Amino acid sequence: MIRKSLILSILLLAVPYAAAFGAERFPPPEFESGYELPSPTTPSPRVDVFEYIDAVVLFAALSVGTYLVLKKRSRRWIFALMVFSLVYFGFYRKGCVCPIGAIQNAAMTVFDKSYAMPVVVLAFLILPFVFTLFFGRVFCAAVCPLGAIQDLFVLKPIAIPRWLDSSLRLFAYLYLGLGILFAATGSAFVICRYDPFVGFFRVTGSFNMIVAGICLLVIGIFIGRPYCRFLCPYSVILRQFSRISRWRVTITPDDCIQCRLCEDACPFGAIRSPAAKWRGEDYSVGKKRLALLLVLLGVLVVFGGWVASRASGWMARVDWRVRLADRVYLEETGKVSDTTDASAAFRATGEEIKELYAEASDIEAKMATGSWILGGFMGLVAGLKLVGHSVRRTRTDYEADRASCFACGRCFTYCPREHARLDKLKNKEEGK
Amino acid sequence: MRKVQNRREFFAAVLRYGVLAGFAAIGVIAGVKSRRLVKEGRCVRGGVCSGCDVFERCALPEALSAKAVLDGGGDASGR
Repeated sequence: MIRKSLILSILLLAVPYAAAFGAERFPPPEFESGYELPSPTTPSPRVDVFEYIDAVVLFAALSVGTYLVLKKRSRRWIFALMVFSLVYFGFYRKGCVCPIGAIQNAAMTVFDKSYAMPVVVLAFLILPFVFTLFFGRVFCAAVCPLGAIQDLFVLKPIAIPRWLDSSLRLFAYLYLGLGILFAATGSAFVICRYDPFVGFFRVTGSFNMIVAGICLLVIGIFIGRPYCRFLCPYSVILRQFSRISRWRVTITPDDCIQCRLCEDACPFGAIRSPAAKWRGEDYSVGKKRLALLLVLLGVLVVFGGWVASRASGWMARVDWRVRLADRVYLEETGKVSDTTDASAAFRATGEEIKELYAEASDIEAKMATGSWILGGFMGLVAGLKLVGHSVRRTRTDYEADRASCFACGRCFTYCPREHARLDKLKNKEEGK
Repeated sequence: MRKVQNRREFFAAVLRYGVLAGFAAIGVIAGVKSRRLVKEGRCVRGGVCSGCDVFERCALPEALSAKAVLDGGGDASGR
């Protein structure tokens, strides 16, 4: 299986690498010979139909994935669906529309008065959420092309300590918060811009992002699905929904016999062993610690907000209007003598400079408020993580962690009860 | 133990259906907003017709231009 994965991965990536670097060698287009750029408002024929077909394929893939994960319990078939999703949603549909980026469309719909989210994008955002609420992370298991491309590279997984895993996940919360903040202020769609794998799917992209993608895939050989675990903003939401899912993946099809064979089966560190017996004398110590952490939670929220507010000026400069206002200000005050393409184009429009300054100030004010909220959110997440680690869980069997489990199905075959179930099924079929 | 399990499941179910209600609310907000913007004669997609839900009945200049091209008659702006 490992060898097959490696060969398939190399084959899938050989073409994108070559073409992505090849694209850089084309001569730049000639803009000074009177050539008029065609209007970009025209949709390609059948493009709308394709979007609806994509939504139907997404629904079908999620349904099949649910059946394979919960009913058939077959890693082989989950892998096959994963490859299909990688080819269809990744290489064929070029990674767009994608549920991960759709978070930004939702934020913009809520905060921007002049934007409404298209139905297909809404479907792409919500369908995986609904499936996760009922069946766990089947989207991550077999439908997400970003997860699929990383899953092919899980070759020599090593276990990382839980505290490190949990701490690194803070980056994903930060990325989610920044993605929503920049989309809400209309500054940028950073989640799409910094997608590390879309360059492979589109066979082109910025050199830096392709290098970032390659680095993540190389890291993924040893640390399974690093983007999904430590960076994916959609994964952050799916984790929370998976905690309250109606049905979910179980390692064993019936009762756990505590054989411990599955203990190291998960390359993503999502298998939890039975909780150690509780020592009564720890109770008062635990209570004091929890009280301290709850006080610390409030401090972290305020501190986080303050730290992020210090960075609000930098964050506002992500918006091109603020950068343009800065540039125009420098030119107006004579601090620079030349002009840039952007400032020249702005002057050519004949718009009032005062209006540009007012718009930039408005964005800066919004970013200042947003950065306080973002920092407070990060403080809250960090505080709740500390509280979560200090709360004692009751667990009697080996279980897949509700939030962290990608439902990839690798652990199924480690369970002797699963083998007994498969034997029973086989005998039943032969008996027929 | 069974009671605790039931209580946990109850809260999980309340949260689950609450989240579903939230999704429905987002859908309604998006739909109502889209209708309102169209009624006011404003573009709902920032001038990008591709994938727009109201493209067929839209009468804004960008949409007319796009429709003219799709009908094979060239760009309405004369280009």
